[in-house]
Amino acid sequence: QALPNRAAPSSILVSSRQKGNPILNAVRSLPWEYSDIPADFVLGNTTCAFFLSLKYHRLHPEYIYTRIRALGGKYNLRVLLTMVDIQNHEDPLKELSKTSLVNNLTLILCWSAQEAGRYLELYKSYEHAPATSIRAHQSTSYSEKLQEFITIPRSINKTDALGLVSAFGSIKHAVNARPEEIGTIAGWGEKKVQRWCQSVREPFRVRK
Amino acid sequence: MPQNAKPPVKLSLPLEYQQDIFNEIRSEDELLVLARGLGLIRVVTNLLHSYDAAGNNLIIVVGADERENGWIGEALAEHAAISRSPMAQGLSQVNTDAMTVGMREKMYSQGGIFSITSRILVVDLLSKLLNPETITGLVVLHAERIVATSIEAFIIRIYRQMNKAGFLKAFSDNPEPFTTGFSPLATMMRNLFLRKPSLWPRFHVTVAKSLEGRKKAEVIELEVPMSDNMKDIQNAILECVEVSISELRKAGTGIELDDWTLDSALHRTFDVIIRRQLDPMWHRVSYRTRQIVNDLTVLRSILHALLTFDAVSFNKYLDTILAAHQPPPGSNRQNQSPWLFLDSANTIFETAKRRVYTGKPIEGGAPTASETILDSLRPVLEEQPKWAVIAEVLDEIERDAYFNPVSHDDSNGTILMMCSDQSTCRQLREYLQNMHIRPLKLDESIDVDRDDDSDSKPSAKFMMRKKLRNYLDWKKDFARVSASLFTENQKALNGYTDQSGATGYKGKGPPNKRRRVRGGSAAAAGGGRSVNSTLQIAEEKASQVATLMAEIQPTDADAVQKDEVTVDSLENMEDFYELYEMQDLVVIHPYDGDQDEHILEEVRPRYVIMYEPDAAFIRRVEVYRSSHDNRNIRVYFMYYGGSVEEQRYLSTVRKEKDAFTRLIKERAVITSMSFQDGPPSNAVQSMSITMGTEGLVSDPQEHFLRTINTRIAGGGRLAATAEPPRVVVDVREFRSSLPSLLHGNSMVVIPCMLTVGDYVISPNICIERKSVRDLISSFKSGRLFAQAETMLQHYKSPMLLIEFDQNKAFTLDPFADAHSSTSSLSTAQNPSDLQSKLVLLTLAFPRLKVIWSSSPYETAKIFEELKKLQEEPDPVKAVQVGLVAGEEPGDQSFNQTPQEMLRAVPGVTGKNYQRLTLEVGTLQEVANMTEEELDPLVGKEAGRQVWKFFNRSLFED
Repeated sequence: QALPNRAAPSSILVSSRQKGNPILNAVRSLPWEYSDIPADFVLGNTTCAFFLSLKYHRLHPEYIYTRIRALGGKYNLRVLLTMVDIQNHEDPLKELSKTSLVNNLTLILCWSAQEAGRYLELYKSYEHAPATSIRAHQSTSYSEKLQEFITIPRSINKTDALGLVSAFGSIKHAVNARPEEIGTIAGWGEKKVQRWCQSVREPFRVRK
Repeated sequence: MPQNAKPPVKLSLPLEYQQDIFNEIRSEDELLVLARGLGLIRVVTNLLHSYDAAGNNLIIVVGADERENGWIGEALAEHAAISRSPMAQGLSQVNTDAMTVGMREKMYSQGGIFSITSRILVVDLLSKLLNPETITGLVVLHAERIVATSIEAFIIRIYRQMNKAGFLKAFSDNPEPFTTGFSPLATMMRNLFLRKPSLWPRFHVTVAKSLEGRKKAEVIELEVPMSDNMKDIQNAILECVEVSISELRKAGTGIELDDWTLDSALHRTFDVIIRRQLDPMWHRVSYRTRQIVNDLTVLRSILHALLTFDAVSFNKYLDTILAAHQPPPGSNRQNQSPWLFLDSANTIFETAKRRVYTGKPIEGGAPTASETILDSLRPVLEEQPKWAVIAEVLDEIERDAYFNPVSHDDSNGTILMMCSDQSTCRQLREYLQNMHIRPLKLDESIDVDRDDDSDSKPSAKFMMRKKLRNYLDWKKDFARVSASLFTENQKALNGYTDQSGATGYKGKGPPNKRRRVRGGSAAAAGGGRSVNSTLQIAEEKASQVATLMAEIQPTDADAVQKDEVTVDSLENMEDFYELYEMQDLVVIHPYDGDQDEHILEEVRPRYVIMYEPDAAFIRRVEVYRSSHDNRNIRVYFMYYGGSVEEQRYLSTVRKEKDAFTRLIKERAVITSMSFQDGPPSNAVQSMSITMGTEGLVSDPQEHFLRTINTRIAGGGRLAATAEPPRVVVDVREFRSSLPSLLHGNSMVVIPCMLTVGDYVISPNICIERKSVRDLISSFKSGRLFAQAETMLQHYKSPMLLIEFDQNKAFTLDPFADAHSSTSSLSTAQNPSDLQSKLVLLTLAFPRLKVIWSSSPYETAKIFEELKKLQEEPDPVKAVQVGLVAGEEPGDQSFNQTPQEMLRAVPGVTGKNYQRLTLEVGTLQEVANMTEEELDPLVGKEAGRQVWKFFNRSLFED
């Protein structure tokens, strides 16, 4: 991947072909400008996007292929932003899935002009963003982490989590608690007790 | 039934209808639907035994849960012993991955009766480890759970395709699911590849004759009125429910509840109904809608708790709920659940408290008022009305037993008490133990409302006082716990308000303040309880609590009794029931489905007290009574009048009856159409004609075929190609419906233990499937990132498949947040929604392709399309991918839940997490490790974090 170039334009580049496209009205928080580019949008040094409405695609099925051909092998991430605006979307989507594989495109679906605009903004504004937020857990405070930890086994909810720690004082004790002890907490029925105890006691790996 | 040249088979089916059913199901393949409580499992075990005794069989039981397995195994062994059949092998279970392929193969070759977990069975069938052609027959339990895309339907399909001769019998004792949807019975029969339904409702002539003969069970119904406080609380809860629902309506989610009345709240699982209505668009509804739906669940659990918990536990439960509903940090306060702002919510909490203790001045009122006697707290400790009734009933039984001593009767005088769950059991046990203990005989001067009754009257006073003491102790801890959790929230909240103050809107003026202005003084009292309620809880005046504590101090009498409250509930029984024989006991047991039959048989009670109503259990008693000539039985059946409990009981009885009526009607229609498709092989074919037939069809036959529309697509193209297309599927994926649909789409499904990806459709293409729900959670846990990373390492074209549900909306765009997405700057800073995460993922992995599929059916077609012109995948290679040298494929199989929990622990990262799961066995072990032990595994800093997470005590701050 190319090194991020700080001098790169901070605006989204839009091909003049897209003049009048309503999704441009939905791009509000970032500047955009027309430019002479082979793709519809340029969203960063290595990222570009085509926009395709399925309605249009149904009438002119060859259009997108000529555009892709014109682009050649440029750009690292090539987004095919597709607006689902027809009811029978199954067949065209099947076809586009295949196309994306053959032509190295990343298919992104949207259902409204707002959403499309939002995707453009997101791609541009995340151009240099690190992927930390999808890399690991994001809970911040202790209580939040605690709640998240306890509520992972199915059917255990917030109230149960609070009941559990208030009965045992710490997670360690809650983990070590016997099923009968947990069963005395209000709201903890047999199923929940069993799920909790099983989750903390069953081995991480099925076989060792 | 034992036909010629067969070893003798002794059956245990004393009643006529049971024998009829047995003979019918033994001779024919059919779907048996029996009313609950009439002994379905007994029919199944007898049937299995009749095959078992014959020997040389390979019979598979599908869909049995753990408990049923236990029982079937036991029953088969018992039968075998009674009929002395040398051929019987009993039941073998295959239910964990721990059983290796080799072991399973050996077991299958020996034959016998097997109960196999569906997920394992389907894999074994597909991999021919268990050749379908060798199977003698399939017995399907819980037939009501089988839908077209379910794994059991898949199993039946494979079986029927390969094996047309073996028998196939399906069982269910739950008729309701058969009546939802359009011509449901026909659909179900298609899914089961069966043609004949056999229906046995309670009102079936033979059943009625068998049960209502001379030997009828005696049932005494006791309607117990609820106390006034309980009624008040129930009404208040219902009000909250109503407001929550109207709030949902306002949100414009298009919920239809035309017939909504308070009454329907009483007897329906209203939260489930609403959830089901919202399900198609669940991933799109706003946070608030979701929250309200959750509130409904909470409210329903309160409604349930009101009847089952004692007053102190109930209050404690409410405290917990209240604290759990504190606003999460980072959210503005408007995110509070709306019902908490209602006056009725206040009523709930206040009344619940008043059932425990009273004498406190009204909260929010001026505490300047004189510190009079009124100000001190004193215990009220309202008892559950049913307790007194139980005491009376026991008394009556005692007298009855005295005047009519056991005569020529086979039952043994035991009193069996049945209730809904373990915690109720515990409560009753404790009550019975303590009801004759009088507290405070010495210092009655303190006791304001001292009872003037004689000591003979049983009461729960002793028990309740003990509970109150525990409660007050607990509350101190609890205040600390919630304080230590809450202060953090408070800080975060302040941080948030500062921030939003800078941007200049929202979050200012806490809603309770505004409410006060609008709602006047009444709301003010309510508001005091809602927003800062944790603080309020903690704020019970120390002096008052002290007096209360002093008041209920254990007296000498209490202290003496204290130690004997242990697990053994029967220890002191003789003291109270001296008239009884040594063997006479009170047995308390929760309802447990078919297992209850066992209990009746083993305990042989003369008296049964049903603490809570249960329609199935009454039938079991009927069956039990009719099966034994010489066992008299009397049932006391109690319920709270005008309560949820009563309504629920009545509606289950009615619903079952309605369901059977509908089934019988539909069966008439089906038989008149007379299943023209002949032998089962045709059924296999006809299932494939569907899917393409869109639009209205008027022809009844086509119409009929269309009902299996939910079936597999495109099986019509059975055109002979050189090699059928192959797909390698991870065995864990068999929980979803896609493998079944791929198979139905005439692809060869090869189950393997994959380390990387879920589906491998060509040497280059590897696919990770995510439903929208999975997608959200695996983004959150970071799992998807890791998966994408490894897929990219090993495959040229890795793909992420985002699969929507068949009936769910095909869109990610959330309704309510649509307008906020226009101001996308705020969302850009706060990457919480799915779209922004997806953008991050594709930016991080430009080579990762994304496939969007509106349903699993569509996915199957897309796979087919993608596979065109591609080489077939090599299963051996696919399995090897991602394995570290020397690793066995099976080593990589993890248990999902503990794994995810470990990931949620702070300090655990993608790197050290692998290490932890390798070196440490279970989560419990991790929790018990010291910092020093953790250090070599995860490093010093992370080790400290992990240790702190588990060991931080919330009792001290």
